[in-house]
Amino acid sequence: MNSAHLSNQIRRLRFENGEMTQQQLADKVGVTRQTIIAIEASKYSPSLTLAFRIARTFKARIEDVFQYKDKDS
Amino acid sequence: MNRLEKRAWAELGAVTLCVIIAGAGGGLMVYMNTKGMVGLVSFLISGLIAGLISYRRNIKYWAKLDEREQKIANRARVLWSCVFILFLWCASFTVFFIVGAKSPVPAYILPVLFLSGLFLATFIKSAAILVRFARGRDDE
Repeated sequence: MNSAHLSNQIRRLRFENGEMTQQQLADKVGVTRQTIIAIEASKYSPSLTLAFRIARTFKARIEDVFQYKDKDS
Repeated sequence: MNRLEKRAWAELGAVTLCVIIAGAGGGLMVYMNTKGMVGLVSFLISGLIAGLISYRRNIKYWAKLDEREQKIANRARVLWSCVFILFLWCASFTVFFIVGAKSPVPAYILPVLFLSGLFLATFIKSAAILVRFARGRDDE
C-alpha cells in the first residue's frame, strides 16, 4: 500500500486537544516521536492497532483521523 | 539519536573491531602456518559464545523498538542478507574465473572472503539505517 494515499488530521487534532506535543502523543500511544512525525507527514502508514490507539487518544473515530484516498477518486 | 541509530553505530564499531581482531588472529595463523583441531575448536567456542550473547541482546533490544523501527530494522536485515549472499556469490565466481577451474587456492582465502562479506553487509546495513533516519530528520 502506498502511504501517499493515506492522509491524516493528527496535527489539527493535537492542537485541538490542548496543544498536545508530538512527544506527548508518542508517549500515550507507545511509539517514538520520529514515528509520529513520519505518520503526520504521511511518510509512514501505521498499523491498524496503532491507528486505533491514536484515534482513541483523541477520542475520535478512526476515519476522522485517517482518510484513505483511492487512486480513482 | 534513537535506539536503532545507536545500535547501527555500535554494530558498525563491533564488526570493525571483530574484523581487525579476526584479521590479526588469522594473519598470525597464516604466518605460523597453524593446522589442526586446536584452532578450529577455539574458533567454534568463541563463535558460539559471541552468537549466544548477540542472540540474547537482540531479543531484549527488539522488544524495545516500535513498529516503524521494527519495519526499518527488518528491511535492513533483508538488505544485509542480499549483500552478503551477492558478495559471496560474486567473490566465489571471481576466484573461480581468475585462477581457473583446476588451480589451487590458498586456504586463508575462504575466511577472508567470509569476513569481508560480513563486514561489507554490516557496513551497508548500518549505513542504510543511518541514512534512513537522517532523511527522516529533515521533516522534523
